[in-house]
Amino acid sequence: METNKILVAIDGSENSKRAVEYVADIVKGCRDFEITLLHIERLPDRDIFPDEEAWKKACVGHRQKIDAFLSDNKQMIADYGIPQKMVSTDYVESCHSPLSEDPAYCSRGTSIAHDILHVAEKEHFGTVVIGRRGVSKAEEFMFGSVSNKIIHSGKDCTIWVVQ
Amino acid sequence: MSETVKQILDRFQSDPYMGRQGKVYTDTSDFMRITGGDVLVFGDGHYLVLRDEVERSYGVEDPKYWVKRCRHLESGQRRLLKLVFYEKFKLQMGDIKITCYRSPRKEARILDLVRGDSRFMQGFSAEDEKGNTIRVLDVVMGKRLDNWIYGLDVDHKTYFFEYLPKILEKFIGACEAIAYLHANGEKHGDIRRDHLWRETHTGDYVWIDFDYTFDFHENPFGLDIFGLGGLLLYIVGKGFYSQKDIIRRLGDEKKAPDMDPADFLLVFKNRLANLQKIFPYIPKELNWVLMHFSAGASVYYETVDEFLSDLRPCLKNMG
Repeated sequence: METNKILVAIDGSENSKRAVEYVADIVKGCRDFEITLLHIERLPDRDIFPDEEAWKKACVGHRQKIDAFLSDNKQMIADYGIPQKMVSTDYVESCHSPLSEDPAYCSRGTSIAHDILHVAEKEHFGTVVIGRRGVSKAEEFMFGSVSNKIIHSGKDCTIWVVQ
Repeated sequence: MSETVKQILDRFQSDPYMGRQGKVYTDTSDFMRITGGDVLVFGDGHYLVLRDEVERSYGVEDPKYWVKRCRHLESGQRRLLKLVFYEKFKLQMGDIKITCYRSPRKEARILDLVRGDSRFMQGFSAEDEKGNTIRVLDVVMGKRLDNWIYGLDVDHKTYFFEYLPKILEKFIGACEAIAYLHANGEKHGDIRRDHLWRETHTGDYVWIDFDYTFDFHENPFGLDIFGLGGLLLYIVGKGFYSQKDIIRRLGDEKKAPDMDPADFLLVFKNRLANLQKIFPYIPKELNWVLMHFSAGASVYYETVDEFLSDLRPCLKNMG
């Protein structure tokens, strides 16, 4: 575990933007930190589209949206005075993506939380940061909660949950 | 020149069709126009439409215009045809709204996956001339399981000891069928009481209707598992019980056991999950499974296997 390596999981939401801001605010002025903005790709469900073309178009749209989000947030970190060389981005593709570029590691789509923790463990991140949307008990049962799963399953790292 | 309905019927049926003789359709896109007396021609088959399917709920008949009750003219067999209808709607579950979609592709894929498996409705898909994915389904000869259970004319205690062990055994089989879907990356999508049927001749339980889907990322099978919990509650209780129902059963409010919100379902807050409070002979192990779906639960089932690993010993204890 490397304590100066921070992994911020982002999904394109306001909650994840808040998590990035929080990290930037804490790290500004510090030296020798590495911040990685990580996105685990979650494509729109293939079955909700009438054909493959429509689905592929939606997948392209999703990727463009996240690419823009990653780029905006990288810039936001720079605006805090943090050198660009301290910040990187990582986009983990879905194994089912029609745009796949044959990555070394892809997300099988069963658990975002486990994908995040896999990256954290493999690349020795000391801190994992995630935004939280705040769900009711019933919503957690039905939809699951990435942040709760990370809290319960994460090991050998510090976890920051930004509400 | 293409055949008329009359010519097609003359060719296939010895006895003349006495009703309306409508049109021949090879493109099913405009399903609202297709009605009794029309003939659909696609794949290698001719299907005479008898009527639109209806869903009956609380005494109200709700026509499903995209589902046609038909006769397959080549075989004379009854078939259900599900035509392509893309629908996006909000499913209200307690306080939660879930965006659901109707997906012909998903249902067609699952029909392929479960071919020959009697735990699921059977059928196949074929495309019409415009590429619409039509699902051609065998008709399940039976009754909704919940209606069959409701119709058993015995009190709960008799039901519990004489009927439930066999029902629970078959229900576990139905849960294993859902676990099989999940293991293959599929979800049923709409597990509720009217989608589990009891086949009359075999007594087997059969899942129907796989065309719902939804976009959950962290817990893709959560809704299916919740559905199984709701079904189990109905099966064990021989019905659902609200606070009012309980008082009505006991005939006196003072006799009602103490109940708090934690005793009721997490999502449908007026359904008692803690059935042991009104049926004290329910073993604590079985009640414990039910309580996983209650507002008082702190641990939930994340997989059907977890649910079954708690439920199977309950069946053993009942035997």
